Amino acid sequence: MDVSEQLETQKSKYKSIAVEKPIPLQYDLALLAGFDTNALDESRLKNDTDNYLKEYTRDGTQLIINQIFKLPITSSDLGIMAELPEQTTVIPREKPLPKPKPPTRWERFAKAKGIQHRKKSKMTFDEATGEWVPRWGYKGTNDDSTNDWLIPVPQNDDPFEDQFSKRHEAKKERIVKNEARHRRNIEDAEAELNQSKGIDARSLRKAELQRQIAMSKTATASIGKFDKPLEGEPKLKGVKRKFEPSIGDVKKEKELSLNILKKIVGKKGDIVNVRKAIAKRDQ
Amino acid sequence: MLKKIKPKNARSKRALQKREPKTEENVKKAIFIRGSSTSQIVNEALSDLCKLKKPDAINFTKKNNTIHPFDNDTSLNFFCEKNDTSLFVVGSHSKKRPNNLTFIRMFDGQILDMVEVGIENAKSLSEFKTSKCAIGIKPLFLFVGDLFENSQVHKTFKNMLLDFYRGQSVKNINLSGLEHVISVTAIDSSSEQSSDTRAMPGIIYFRVYTTQFKKSGEKTPRIELEEMGPSYNFRIRRFKFANDDVYKLATKVPKVNKPKKIKNIDVNEMGDKIGRIHLGKQDLSKLQTRKMKGLKRIAEDYTEEDLESEELVPLTKKQKA
Repeated sequence: MDVSEQLETQKSKYKSIAVEKPIPLQYDLALLAGFDTNALDESRLKNDTDNYLKEYTRDGTQLIINQIFKLPITSSDLGIMAELPEQTTVIPREKPLPKPKPPTRWERFAKAKGIQHRKKSKMTFDEATGEWVPRWGYKGTNDDSTNDWLIPVPQNDDPFEDQFSKRHEAKKERIVKNEARHRRNIEDAEAELNQSKGIDARSLRKAELQRQIAMSKTATASIGKFDKPLEGEPKLKGVKRKFEPSIGDVKKEKELSLNILKKIVGKKGDIVNVRKAIAKRDQ
Repeated sequence: MLKKIKPKNARSKRALQKREPKTEENVKKAIFIRGSSTSQIVNEALSDLCKLKKPDAINFTKKNNTIHPFDNDTSLNFFCEKNDTSLFVVGSHSKKRPNNLTFIRMFDGQILDMVEVGIENAKSLSEFKTSKCAIGIKPLFLFVGDLFENSQVHKTFKNMLLDFYRGQSVKNINLSGLEHVISVTAIDSSSEQSSDTRAMPGIIYFRVYTTQFKKSGEKTPRIELEEMGPSYNFRIRRFKFANDDVYKLATKVPKVNKPKKIKNIDVNEMGDKIGRIHLGKQDLSKLQTRKMKGLKRIAEDYTEEDLESEELVPLTKKQKA
């Protein structure tokens, strides 16, 4: 007996997986979807809807599954996996594409100078202790306030000055300076985003400072009324009340009054809440 | 000036970062929400459709008087921003439009497109006493009918359903994880008179089946289906398509940063890694060969240049001689 014959008999024991369709289906296997444009048997659909749909869907699903099983297959410890192709159906995104981050001042400078970023490992070997320590941060090597037990006083310095606290102060200062730079970078980036509106970083910062000055001026007992004005301080503009002209448009005036009435009386025109009133009377 | 919400701790910072726009997006979440008045059918439909979408779905069970997606979208925008969701299904029931579901998609916090359907012949998930699929499994989709190719509304509705239920986009799929199929069949029965005057002619049959893999004698199994529910006949009512400009923006494809081509490293059939090294041309004049007396340079061989550069060597030799 031939092997192929044996296979045939084996196969004929089970129901077939082949499905015939006049128009072949279209697939988007990345979405596990099949699109069937064949005409349906409308009379059967009307009289025997659920059974017909189930049969029809079975055929379609079989075709999709046949396609999926044709994909390159790998077996991993999670199970047998089929590698899906690229998606062909266009589905809109949820949010717009992320905008590239505006470069910081240092990044712009480095680019102009052609300085390239070299990757450094975070840990360095400390020869003195024979241990790997972080280059910066907690227990880092560059934290020089903790490492030395003695600091020689420089030649022309005040011998009574505490060199340790001097170092500490210097570090604090550097941190403050760096934070200022960080803030400036954020402001610049913000201004770049608003560039289309014609706002630059300088005017943004200026407006913010002026707002803060104005706010701080109101912190006196007289809410700033008797304060000496600063040099070059802009005059604050308060809210100016506007009045309608006393003679003129009658129609507009009527409308305004009616609007107020409407707000008080409400849409339905019930001034008195009857239910509430009855409850009050019955008390 | 910087009026953005500043995260006060690392956890909230991470949470905000998750919401930022990304090239590879999160799974779209959906909110299933009730309008001012709903019927039993609509309520069940909402909770069943929500169960199909789980775990990326939120079911709002209170009624909301302010939600009228075709007239006013402010409250939807608010829910979208608050929950970081971009898909909505709004259910409502009125005399004008009984048993109404509105499928809504958002882009960038604004409504992109909507399709409103009326439900007929609803059967809920619990009415089918069969086994259900597991939560969070990608379904198979089958769209039947040429309407899904030809009619703009049906096309949008198809795209919407794909968007709602596709789940996480993956590179590989586990073949044993193909548990259910969502079948959507559209027919254009314009001859048939519908009681629903506000609907477009034609019905969309929405069915969900679980799949069973049977032996077929081949590698590919034979599929048998069992209806899992829910099951609806939809009739399309109102719709709103996306604005062309916005749609273009929403379908922009990110530039994928391609991996750099790896040069000079191959893997052969045995799985061994083979590297190629380019050395350049070898300078053979400086090659150290076997030392022999006959090959030694004698003083006459040295040119003047050699003498200038290698003064020491010949001089010492001369002295010795």
